[in-house]
Amino acid sequence: MTMHTKTPNTIPLVDIRGLRKRFGTNEVLKGIDLQIQRREVVCIIGRSGSGKSTLLRCINGLEEFQEGVLTVHGQALKINDPHAMRELRQNVGMIFQSFNLFPHLTVGQNVMLAPMLVRALPKLEARRRAEQLLARVGLAEKFDNRPDQLSGGQQQRVAIARALAMDPEILLCDEVTSALDPELVGEVLQVVEDLAEQGMTLMLVTHEMNFARKVSDRVVFMHQGKVHEMGPPDELFNHPKTPELQQFLSAL
Amino acid sequence: MVDFSFWDIARNLLLALRWTVALSLIAFIGGGMVGLVLLIARLSKLPGVAHGVALYVQIFQGTPLLMQLFLTYFGLSMLGVDTSALFAASVCLTLYASAYLTEIWRGCVLSIPRGQWEAAASLAMNFREQLRYIVLPQATRIAIAPTVGFLIQIIKGTALASVIGFIEITKAGQMIANATYEPFLVYGCVGLLYFTLCFPLSVWSRHLERKLSVRH
Repeated sequence: MTMHTKTPNTIPLVDIRGLRKRFGTNEVLKGIDLQIQRREVVCIIGRSGSGKSTLLRCINGLEEFQEGVLTVHGQALKINDPHAMRELRQNVGMIFQSFNLFPHLTVGQNVMLAPMLVRALPKLEARRRAEQLLARVGLAEKFDNRPDQLSGGQQQRVAIARALAMDPEILLCDEVTSALDPELVGEVLQVVEDLAEQGMTLMLVTHEMNFARKVSDRVVFMHQGKVHEMGPPDELFNHPKTPELQQFLSAL
Repeated sequence: MVDFSFWDIARNLLLALRWTVALSLIAFIGGGMVGLVLLIARLSKLPGVAHGVALYVQIFQGTPLLMQLFLTYFGLSMLGVDTSALFAASVCLTLYASAYLTEIWRGCVLSIPRGQWEAAASLAMNFREQLRYIVLPQATRIAIAPTVGFLIQIIKGTALASVIGFIEITKAGQMIANATYEPFLVYGCVGLLYFTLCFPLSVWSRHLERKLSVRH
């Protein structure tokens, strides 16, 4: 990696150094070093249990880690400092495998709530923004529906609009299509791809290899809690260097 | 010896019924408020608090309400507090209800998927906002039926306040039975009055349970 030798205006948006995470005695992240630049799209691939999702969840403080430094936007992540976490999480959006929409609120309220609470956005403004964002993911007409009236693909698109409502600088996507019926995967990936084209910084844990190949600037292969191999998608998929990655790709 | 008509018995029992209802409401509302504070304290993950609340719950669940009433009544007067039976019964039943309600509600909060907390957290909401806007509204729906169910337990529990001399309908029934020598009639009426209080609540609770569980 050459990033930190460059000029200061290319300070990585996310800078992870020496990150170690244990669940009890089980070490799941064994010293991760990873830098994500602005506007970069990075896909993380690997077997289940390789620590991909855990790494992603460390970046917005959903998981604690025991060693190492993680900075976003130059600010070190301090999990026990609620104010620092509130700042950080406004910059880091997350989309989950299971959508996690708020079932007691309408689609529109799902998108409006956090900006009104966290950013103190006036209700009308929040509503206007929510309408724009829902239109952007193709769901303008669902504003007053309940989440359970939507298909999985639609729910996930609402979740994307909800995350975007906070104007994050980076979006973490944790297997966002894994819970979807095959015919609904496309519409969600299309939205993610549009975001990538519009210059959103994205970090995706995914099992959709074709998608990873298509949208990524860089692919990270994780194996047994470490970044095992990393590079541009063509290089990584066409010329895997390590036997572990070769095996992983051939098993697909 | 004075003769008591059935009307005299009924009138006195109905007058005493007001105190059963009042004590139940005090215990339910007071217990609800204390229980909510305990719930939030327990969820906030402040060091040591969760264990403290768990112990509190265990103490009230692990001892008979009758003992709790005795201990409160005599304990308060030992502390030099000039207690009426109503005051002691209110304090005791409030604490008793708070221990049960906080545990019932904790179960409801725990049944909200972790993803809801995580989604709220990753939208930069703080603990209070996560609880207030995301978790409690959902947990409340689940909690309504068991909470109404517990209200029935409280109403029946107030009968025990008779042992510290509080005149609610069980105590009133006892006094009237002693005066009239008609214990079966009197206690029959007392039982019927409890039933008319509790049965509608029980039906309502079951109705809520069915209605709210279908929606998911």
